[in-house]
Amino acid sequence: MWETIAQAVINGLLIGGIYALVSIGVTLIFGVVKIVNFAQGEFVMIGMYISFFLSSQFGIDPLVSLIVSMPVLFVIGVLVQHFLIRRVLGPNDMPQIFLTFALSLLLLNLALMLFSANYRTVHTSYSDEALHLGELYIPVAKLIAFVVAMALSGALWVFLHTTDLGKAMRAAAQNRDVATLMGINPNRVFCVALGIALALAGAAGSLLMPFYSAYPFVGQVFVLMAFVAVVLGTLGNVIGALVASLMMGVAESLGIQFVGADSGLIVVFAMLLLTLAFKPTGLGGGRAR
Amino acid sequence: MKKDRKDSVSCKAGLSESSAASSQTLSKRHGRREFLLKTGGILAAGAFGAVPLRGWAADPVNIGALYPTTGSMAQIGIGCVAAAKLAVDMINDAGGIRSLGGAKLNLIISDVQSDTTVTRTETDRLITGNKLSAIHGCFASALTLIASEVAERAKVPLLTGSSSDQLNKGRTHTFTPFARASQFAQAQLRMSRLVSDKPKVAVIFENTAFGTSTSNGLREQAAAEGVEIVLFEPYSAGFTDASPLINKVKSAGANALFSVSYLNDLILIVRTVKQVGLNIAINGGSGGFVIPDFYKNVGKLGEGLQGVAHWNHDMDANSEKVNAEYKKRTGEFLFEYAGGLVAQTFIIADALERAASPDPQKVRDAIAATDVSSGFAAMCPGGKVKFGPDGKNIHAHPVGVQWQNGDLASVYPEEDKRAPLLKT
Repeated sequence: MWETIAQAVINGLLIGGIYALVSIGVTLIFGVVKIVNFAQGEFVMIGMYISFFLSSQFGIDPLVSLIVSMPVLFVIGVLVQHFLIRRVLGPNDMPQIFLTFALSLLLLNLALMLFSANYRTVHTSYSDEALHLGELYIPVAKLIAFVVAMALSGALWVFLHTTDLGKAMRAAAQNRDVATLMGINPNRVFCVALGIALALAGAAGSLLMPFYSAYPFVGQVFVLMAFVAVVLGTLGNVIGALVASLMMGVAESLGIQFVGADSGLIVVFAMLLLTLAFKPTGLGGGRAR
Repeated sequence: MKKDRKDSVSCKAGLSESSAASSQTLSKRHGRREFLLKTGGILAAGAFGAVPLRGWAADPVNIGALYPTTGSMAQIGIGCVAAAKLAVDMINDAGGIRSLGGAKLNLIISDVQSDTTVTRTETDRLITGNKLSAIHGCFASALTLIASEVAERAKVPLLTGSSSDQLNKGRTHTFTPFARASQFAQAQLRMSRLVSDKPKVAVIFENTAFGTSTSNGLREQAAAEGVEIVLFEPYSAGFTDASPLINKVKSAGANALFSVSYLNDLILIVRTVKQVGLNIAINGGSGGFVIPDFYKNVGKLGEGLQGVAHWNHDMDANSEKVNAEYKKRTGEFLFEYAGGLVAQTFIIADALERAASPDPQKVRDAIAATDVSSGFAAMCPGGKVKFGPDGKNIHAHPVGVQWQNGDLASVYPEEDKRAPLLKT
């Protein structure tokens, strides 16, 4: 019995690491720029296709292609902020919602046109390998993805807490107006925030590639979980999103094991509803950190 | 998603221009995306184009083809169109329909966009806009059910390889030369008995109409076939991780796994089974499991996996011949649905020959009277086509297939077996 539970927890934590990369991006953008990026999943998809093509054309390992996908997505993030989001920032939320939603649909359909709806997978030597510990097993590709995801989250935390730019971002997240008065250039901070958030999405894409298929709709699968994690972990709270993502992964996995294989999302959303009912600001506490 | 109406591509194949470069008459209202997809399909088919209808001795006979060449089912739909063109080329190159003065077949292709609403309007438009003698389509049962309703009302005969048993209920113009869904379930259960004397089967299925109906068919027939189902588990399609599900299969102590899944889930399931180190015979059923793309995605892990199909390219000399030609044109082997579709085109040609008329009602009657046991029209498991009053081929049955060295080999039943079943 305990093996079953332990295995379910391991499975949940591993996939939770990927959810974390997506949700940290969403929460970072929300915290700093105060917009909800509906297109985050599509940037994961772009990251996956970058890794897929680097692997199929040049034989580059998806994990190595991280050093391509992250900078490319960072630049896309800066461009999106500078040329699109900057123009709709204002008191009215509606144009922002429509902008990121339109961006999501645009990218999705572009991918359909360019790459077709086919599933693309990459084979690596470690794709199908697993470490066996007694009755338990840990898939190698997922373990690597989890470790890299945690390392990137840690690096982001260090960046936010030790560098001037990181502190400026947190300042802008806490109070944009006061931060602007203190001499922080909001557009520069926003550009970096978008860049980092999209780079994380790109990393998620590359890390997924050894064990998941790329297809135009793939982002939708992950962005749904990311939104739940962001709300659960308090909007704008990076650590909250990370913890909530891991919790959701575990809840989903335990749900599939003990309730039924079509209950994964039910458990996750029940968790969300309960949290909102009893702690409306989310598990991360009342304020963004 | 794009939902505009699309115009049909009219392709006319003949002896003289079949090898010439394409000069399709594409209608005016074409998006670039559609253009790319269509030209892709046409190039894949070996590039032949339409020319004005001038200089033919006999009027060509119009055959409608309804396939999803865009949208989520596009991949299989494009393969179907390539096969449909190949079949028409074969008939026209051999002299067309003799009883109609050597009339050529004119294939009119319509894209049903993997969408039920579009299928209804496209079928309607295809029938009202053209004088059709017969139609074949649409690969996915959900789409074929709608297209056949429209065709029934218009009294145009429709042939299909779709497996839904629903297609044989209360219809007079719908003909199904291949095995039915209920027969697929039976074949799958019997195959599990080849692997073990006491099969303990875990059935996992995606929880929408496709998975639910297929898995219920399996459950209903299991007891009669002497198969014990130890796990019957629905799951939501498009999951991120198959591990918890495979954990359940493992705890259930199953020695065979039936997965009624879409391609992406199936890839994850197959990989996870390997990672867990579970030694279990997997049967992936039909559809997306028996197309070349499946093997491309799972690679060596696909070896030894079993499935069921209504057609396979190693059945007889004729199928191998068609397969070789299709391979030459597209680079892939001829998959189940596309191969069956070549046979369907020859059944239509055979009926036209006997009807000696392009009139859809006469063609319908001739199809109903079909009784062939040789040639390309009889290219199906069992090698015979004769329709019962419900439009079902009374000789039809599925073949059990297994992935062996990157190819699909027929392994079940005994009379259709072309390679021994590998027990993995």
